[in-house]
Amino acid sequence: MSSLIKAPSRFKVPSYLIGPILILVIAMIYGSLGSEYFLQPSSIIFNTGRYIEIGLLALALTFVIINGDIDLSVASTLAASAGVLAKMWAAGVPIFWCCIAAIFTGFILGLINGLIVIKLGLPSLVVTLATLALYRGITQVMLGDGVVANYPENFVGFDQRLVIGGNPGLPAPLALFIAASLIFYFILHRSNYGIKNIMSGSNPSSSKFSGIDVNSVRLTAFALSGTVCGLCAVMITSRLGSTISNVGLGLELLAITVVVLGGTDIFGGRGAISGTVVSLFAIMAVREALVIQDINGQVQDAVIGLLLILTVLVPRIRSYYIEKRNRKKRFNEAQRNA
Amino acid sequence: MAVNVNSKVSYIFKKREFGIFLFILILLAVFGAIEPRFFRSDNLSAILSSVGILMVVGAGQTLVIVTRNIDLSVGSTLGLAAMVMGMVARSKPDFPIIGLIIIAMVVGGICGVLNGLLVSYGKIPSIIATLGTLAIIRGAVFVVSNNVQIDPNDVPKGIIALSTTSPIGIPWLLIFAFLAIVLVWYVSSQTLLGKRVYAVGSNPEAAVSRGLSFNKITIMVFIFVGVLAGLGGVLYTARYATINPADVGRGLEFDVISAVVIGGTNIFGGSGTALGTALGCILIGILSNGLTVVGVSPFWKACATGFLILAAVAIDNLVRKKQEENFLLAIRNQRVVK
Repeated sequence: MSSLIKAPSRFKVPSYLIGPILILVIAMIYGSLGSEYFLQPSSIIFNTGRYIEIGLLALALTFVIINGDIDLSVASTLAASAGVLAKMWAAGVPIFWCCIAAIFTGFILGLINGLIVIKLGLPSLVVTLATLALYRGITQVMLGDGVVANYPENFVGFDQRLVIGGNPGLPAPLALFIAASLIFYFILHRSNYGIKNIMSGSNPSSSKFSGIDVNSVRLTAFALSGTVCGLCAVMITSRLGSTISNVGLGLELLAITVVVLGGTDIFGGRGAISGTVVSLFAIMAVREALVIQDINGQVQDAVIGLLLILTVLVPRIRSYYIEKRNRKKRFNEAQRNA
Repeated sequence: MAVNVNSKVSYIFKKREFGIFLFILILLAVFGAIEPRFFRSDNLSAILSSVGILMVVGAGQTLVIVTRNIDLSVGSTLGLAAMVMGMVARSKPDFPIIGLIIIAMVVGGICGVLNGLLVSYGKIPSIIATLGTLAIIRGAVFVVSNNVQIDPNDVPKGIIALSTTSPIGIPWLLIFAFLAIVLVWYVSSQTLLGKRVYAVGSNPEAAVSRGLSFNKITIMVFIFVGVLAGLGGVLYTARYATINPADVGRGLEFDVISAVVIGGTNIFGGSGTALGTALGCILIGILSNGLTVVGVSPFWKACATGFLILAAVAIDNLVRKKQEENFLLAIRNQRVVK
């Protein structure tokens, strides 16, 4: 009845965004208690640089996870692409072609993941667990325990460059991330492919019967994820200015955390780019706030782990109590009528 | 009689574990042929003691994966158990060894209860819940220890002796590993509880409608792996004698899951044996030791592990498909005869 009386609101914050937005706000307040400079626009914007790779990986992973698959090998794919870049640079290839080769390597490795999963019909969790070890191993074989550095001046320091100058300016990584999230938004929510992606995740067999080539949709998502890993390899090499074989170690868990925190269902069929973007900024704010408050890295990870569990658990508990209350109400009504 | 023996022999040949066993023999022959020193008793015992910790934790993980869950937090649980035990030993040097072992197992069990509650009553997918607790428990290791490591001279001699002294020519560490495997074998194949665990794993809906408590079995399985991870913490302390809060048990989860998957446990639940897991652990141990002994760069180890997982699941998948075909064929033939 109440819905008839209340005017339907035109804009409503989706439920999956409430958690990340709350976390973002609380982290901002907590951080600003630690330092008055925390909320300055320029410091916020320049702190984003370190998190953009995670954000890009999470954007691409959103597609894979919506399909009901998972890609644990993203960090290793990134490392292998960075390894190819480093080896080619050390061999004297111009840096531009090294970057192209790195992105292409990512594409190929992602494609291999997808082909193994689809052609052999194996669970993606196991396959990408295997390629997590395999690609990291390839990187270690390529680079050994050496370091490749001495990248050219105009390649290093991508994160220090400004697309729009001034104070606060717009640094290149953030601009790239904004562009990427817009593109991914249109692919997932406004394009044919995106609809197919969500459909094949929510019900593979019925999608197959309605004429969607589920396997090619999944393969595309894996290849996309790999390509983005290659791109991130270029970015991380430019940011760090050197390459070692354990580059990006453990990044996969962080990227998956971002995706899941943003409300994407780990079993597929549901998810949104906006969720991933907001949850990236939430995690970024939490990290930076904890850094400002001088809290150890392991405890930072623990806080993010706790937030991950709470964002899944709290809505469950809430819906449980709402359900219970409704049941009681129905029961009382039935008794009154009887 | 002859027929009976014949069928028994062919039964052994058809067993999933036989394939791994054969592969282990081939590896042993190859490594032994290249480098006879491989078969020296000190090398073999080095392999076995490196495998012991993996085996103890893997035994528990097998049951978790059989119930369609996964526990990513085993490495952190092992770390917390080892750390708490080490701190008790440091503050009370004359604490009995058996008490220390019980403390470690209880700490592991508490972590298991936490995971179990989140997965069963919280209805959080286990991969997310344990991804969260992986970080949370790792943070707890830091908070509990105040980032101070336990030095070898703080660890009681009795604990270190577990990895060196032996009652019957085998170090205690291996006896514990063996007991863990036997325990899981016994529970899974000889008890009603084991049958229930497998029933929940192979078809949760059917199991629940048959009156099994999904929540109770899930919690029990997670407690079980937690307790075994706690025991793993004792063995870790015995073997390395130093407990560093930052890297005790870090990354163990990947090794353990790899070993379980190589051992033939289906990641989608419902099948898997303790013997397979034990052989999987031994295979990984032989591979990593053999590569070093033969003189291949240790950087190839990760590659080899990745290939091994892929090969194991691919072969498993083929065998399973073949079995299903045969099963369907048998049913059809029966109908034709009738």
